Amino acid sequence: MADDALGRPYGVPARREPILPNGVLGMLIFVATEIMFFSGLISAFVIGKSNAIGGWPPPGQPRLPVEETALNTAALLASGVVLYFANRAFRKGSPSTKRLLAVSIALGGFFVVFQGAEWVALIREGLTLTSGQLGGFFYLIVGTHALHVLAGFIVLLYTYRRLSEGDLDRFTFWPAQIFWYFVVGVWPVLYWQVYL
Amino acid sequence: MAVTLAFTADLARACPSCASPLEENRQAFVDTTIFLTVLPLAMIGGFVWWLRRRSKEIERAPEIAVPEGLLRDAGPFSKSR
Repeated sequence: MADDALGRPYGVPARREPILPNGVLGMLIFVATEIMFFSGLISAFVIGKSNAIGGWPPPGQPRLPVEETALNTAALLASGVVLYFANRAFRKGSPSTKRLLAVSIALGGFFVVFQGAEWVALIREGLTLTSGQLGGFFYLIVGTHALHVLAGFIVLLYTYRRLSEGDLDRFTFWPAQIFWYFVVGVWPVLYWQVYL
Repeated sequence: MAVTLAFTADLARACPSCASPLEENRQAFVDTTIFLTVLPLAMIGGFVWWLRRRSKEIERAPEIAVPEGLLRDAGPFSKSR
């Protein structure tokens, strides 16, 4: 087939990269709704807190483990940073992608386990969903986030499996990353509002 | 009669926060209202701005001719990196 002035074969359509892959667009819309959902929860908490008579946290209620959760927060943030480096390695086709992704997943798993242990301790101290406004808000907001972390953890495990099989493409990896960055990014806001 | 009723009706309270005697509570209500109003607008605005920028970048990028055989095999959203 003869070529044109630019060296392209005649009759062959040019292809451009899509502005946004479908999976990424879908995940961005989902994350936007999730941001609004968490914003609603935080707003309700802020109003509830400001309405509390006798100060906050309410008297007679257990204190939340601020220092221990700070460590857990660091683990989750580190997980997000490691995932970023995993993506960079993936784009270069580096074999370290698998190791970095595994570290990111392990840090996410640590967060979930630590959070579970924290909940057990708080329930033993008497902080339950029905023990008062603090318990109600705490388990609702932090529990909702924990569910998201669990979902993100499963998604990352799925990407790891695909990577191990040599079947992971960026159109699968990107949405998974967006969700995990959301989970990581929303946590410091929750920590600041609920724990501090 | 409507005017008479308007003068006799009590003031309606939309929610407890609007009528809260606590200044901190009233302020929290105002702050969260502003926050929940601005946030979706900022998200949508930011997304549209980013889309326009990305679209212009792609417009400027040179077109790449792809052999027909490759198109048939992989399609425009192939698993290439």
